[in-house]
Amino acid sequence: MGIEIGAVKLTLDELGTRLQGEFGDDLVDLRVQEPDTLVARVDRHKLHAVAAKLKGLGEIAYDSCNFVAAVDYVTHLETVYHLYSYSTNTYIELHVEIDRNNAVCDTICDIYPAANWHEREAWDMMGVRFEGHPDLRRILLKDDWIGHPLRKDYVDLVENHPNV
Amino acid sequence: MARVMDHYPKLERFEHPNIVTTTADLVFNWARSRSIFPFTYGIACCAIEMLSSGFARFDIARFGWEVFRPTPRQCDLMIVAGTVNEKMAPVLKRLYDQMSEPKWVISMGACATSGGPFYDGYNVVNGVDKIVPVDVYIPGCPPRPEALFHGMLQLQKKIQKMSFVAPRIDEGDELALASLRGEGERAIAPAGQTDGRLPTNAAESQEVQ
Amino acid sequence: MSDVFSNEAPDSAVRLAIERVKAEQSVSDLEGLELGTVIVNMGPQHPSTHGVLRLVVTLDGEVIRDVIPVIGYLHRCKEKLAERRTYFQYIPIPDRTEYVAGMNCEWGYVRTVEKLAGIPVTRRAEFIRVIMAELNRIASHLVAIGTFVADLAPLGTAMAFYTFRDRERILDLLEAASGARMMFNYFRFGGVRYDLPDGWVEKCREFLDYFPPKIVEYENLVNDNAIFLQRTLGKGVLTQEDVKEYAITGPNARASGVKHDLRRTRPYSVYPELDFEIPVGTHGDVYDRYQVRIAEMRESVKIVRQALDMLPKGPVQLGTLRPPYVITPPPGACYTAQENPRGEYGTYIVSDGSRYPYRLKYRDPCFVNLQVFPKLLKGVKIADAIAISGSMDLVLGGIDR
Repeated sequence: MGIEIGAVKLTLDELGTRLQGEFGDDLVDLRVQEPDTLVARVDRHKLHAVAAKLKGLGEIAYDSCNFVAAVDYVTHLETVYHLYSYSTNTYIELHVEIDRNNAVCDTICDIYPAANWHEREAWDMMGVRFEGHPDLRRILLKDDWIGHPLRKDYVDLVENHPNV
Repeated sequence: MARVMDHYPKLERFEHPNIVTTTADLVFNWARSRSIFPFTYGIACCAIEMLSSGFARFDIARFGWEVFRPTPRQCDLMIVAGTVNEKMAPVLKRLYDQMSEPKWVISMGACATSGGPFYDGYNVVNGVDKIVPVDVYIPGCPPRPEALFHGMLQLQKKIQKMSFVAPRIDEGDELALASLRGEGERAIAPAGQTDGRLPTNAAESQEVQ
Repeated sequence: MSDVFSNEAPDSAVRLAIERVKAEQSVSDLEGLELGTVIVNMGPQHPSTHGVLRLVVTLDGEVIRDVIPVIGYLHRCKEKLAERRTYFQYIPIPDRTEYVAGMNCEWGYVRTVEKLAGIPVTRRAEFIRVIMAELNRIASHLVAIGTFVADLAPLGTAMAFYTFRDRERILDLLEAASGARMMFNYFRFGGVRYDLPDGWVEKCREFLDYFPPKIVEYENLVNDNAIFLQRTLGKGVLTQEDVKEYAITGPNARASGVKHDLRRTRPYSVYPELDFEIPVGTHGDVYDRYQVRIAEMRESVKIVRQALDMLPKGPVQLGTLRPPYVITPPPGACYTAQENPRGEYGTYIVSDGSRYPYRLKYRDPCFVNLQVFPKLLKGVKIADAIAISGSMDLVLGGIDR
C-alpha cells in the first residue's frame, strides 16, 4: 500500500463543512486557518471519541498525530492536538480546555501511537495527567523532580538541586 | 601553611626539591603533556567542534592528542563539551571518579564554564566546576577548534609545572582541598544554596528587564 | 561525597525493564527455567549513541528483547527560557536545538514570529535564507553520513574525515556570511542580519562545482563495500504503516517510500519557484536512508545553484526594527513547520501581546523519530542496533531541548 499525499483534493471549506456534518456539536468553533489547517475546540470528555472517529474517517482520515502541546493559561490549562491527514494534506488543530486544579485528560496514544511521548512530556512539564496512558513517567527531568516547570506558578525548590 | 602530605600521608612525595625530582619532573611532565588521551565526553554543540578539531583541517594529532578513548578508565583528560544539567551531573561525577590519576579537566564552552546562554534554566548546573575541579576554562559558544587548541596548550604549560615535590596549600583553602579530593564547589557550598535559578513567575522576570 | 554512588538503586527506566522481564517470565512456557536476560545500560556516555542518549537494553544473548530510551540528559529548559527572553533576544537559542543544522532551526522560529506579528520578508532575504538553509542541510547530512559510517566499523572514521573536510568548506562560506561557524544568529524578523559579502556568490559557485564529484567519491568509498552492504541492506525496516503511525518525517520517512517533504507538501518561502526532486527510497532499510541522504545533498546543490541565479537585488532586512529591538505581536497562537534535515521542525508560539512569548513549544523531528525505537530495535542484534540508530540520525539537542 502506498501513502499518496494529497490524493483527495478538497478545499479547506469543503473539508470543514464535511467535518461539521460528521461531528456536529463535538467540534465547537470549527474555523479555517490558512493555508491548510482547520481549528476547533473539543470538550475534554469527548476527546477520545472524536479522535477515534477522526482516525477512522476513511479516505479523509486524520491518520497521524503531529504533536501534543500543553499551554498554561492562568485560569485553566489547555492541550493542543495537531493531527495530519496524508490523503488530504491538511492539518486539524484541536484545543481542549482542562481544569487547572484537576488537570486530567484522556490519552489518545492508543489511537495515535505518536502521541505517547508528547503526552509524557506534557505530564512532565505541565502536570497534565493522561488517563489510560500505559507509561506516564517523567521524560525530560529526573524521576524525583518536584514540580512541573512550565506552569506559570512554578517554584524551583532547593531539593531539586542536591549537592551532587 | 600545610603540606599536602599532612592531609594525605600515604602520598609518596619528596619534601624538598632536588636534582632527582627536577629531572624526573622534566621527563614525566614532558611525556604526560605531549600524549594525553582525551575522553570523548561531548554532551552538546561543543562536541561537534571537538569532533571538527579531531579531523583533517584542525588536526589534533599534530599535538599528539588524537587518541580519544570512549572509556574513562583509559583517559587522562576529560573535555567537558556542553551543558551539564541536574540529570547528567551524577553521571559526570561518576565518570570523573573512574579516571585514574593524574587527570585533568578542560571545561570547553560557555555552558560548561558557567551555564552559558542557559544560566537561568531550572535544570542547568552553572558550570561544571561545581561538580569536578577544572584546570582550564575555554570560553566561546562554541569555541573554535583553534580556541580549543589554545586551551590545550595552556594545559600543557600547567602540566609542566607539576612536580614530585609536595605542594603547599593554605589550611583554610577549602576549594583547593576539595579539588585535591576530586570534587567541585558543591562539596563545600552550604546546603540549600541555589545559584541563580529561574525566578518563580513571569511577573518577577519582567522586573529583571 | 562519593557515597552517593555506593548503593545506587535502579532508576525508573531500569525498574520498568526489570518489571517487563518479570512479566514475561510469568507467562513463559519454560518450566522451571529462568529467562537468561541481561539488562544493559548503553549509558548517556557512549561513543555510538551520537549524544547523550541512554538506552536501557534488555538482551537475550545478542538479541535485543526490549529497548527503553531515556532522554533528558541535555534538557536545557529552552521552552521556559522563551518566557524570560524577548522575541529578539531569543533568536540565538533555537540554533542550539539541532546544533548541526542551526540555520534551519533559526528559520523555523523566525518564521513563526513573522507570521504572528505579520512582518513581511524582503525578497532578497528569502533567497539568502534558502541558500543558507540548503548549505546547512548539506553540512548536516555530511555529519550524519560521516558519523554513521564511523559507527559501522572501527576504521570507518575514514569516511568521516572526507565528509568533515567538505563540511569545513561549507562552514567557511557560512562563516563569511554570518560570522560564526556553528551558532549563527543570522536570521532576523523580516530578513537576515548581514548581506552577502563581496565575492561570496563566486566562492559559493566554486564550492558547488567542487562538491558533486566529492559525492561520487563518497559513493565509491562505501557503496560497493561488502561489509557495508551486509550491515545495512534489509536492516531496520520502517514500513509505511510505521511512518504513518509514529509521524516519522524527513529522510527516514522518504526512505520508506512516503514522499513527504514539507518544501513541497506545505510550501513556504520561495521553494515553489525552485525546481528540485524529492528522492525517495523503496525498502525503508538502513541502506535506503543512507542513499536518500546522499541524493538529497545532490538536490540541495541544485537548489542553491538556482537560488544564486535568481538572487535579486535589494535590502536584506526591513528597516523597521530599530533599537531597543522589541516587537509585541498581537495575542494569538501560531504554528509553522519546515523541512529540517531530520524532518518536520515546528514551532508553536502563543503570544499574549507582551514582548515575551507566552508559550513556545518545539515540535522536534528527532523527538518524534525516537519513539519508534522500541518497535524498530526489537529482535535485532545489538550490533545492528548501532547501525540502525546511526541511520536514524538523532541529534540530542533537539530531543531534549
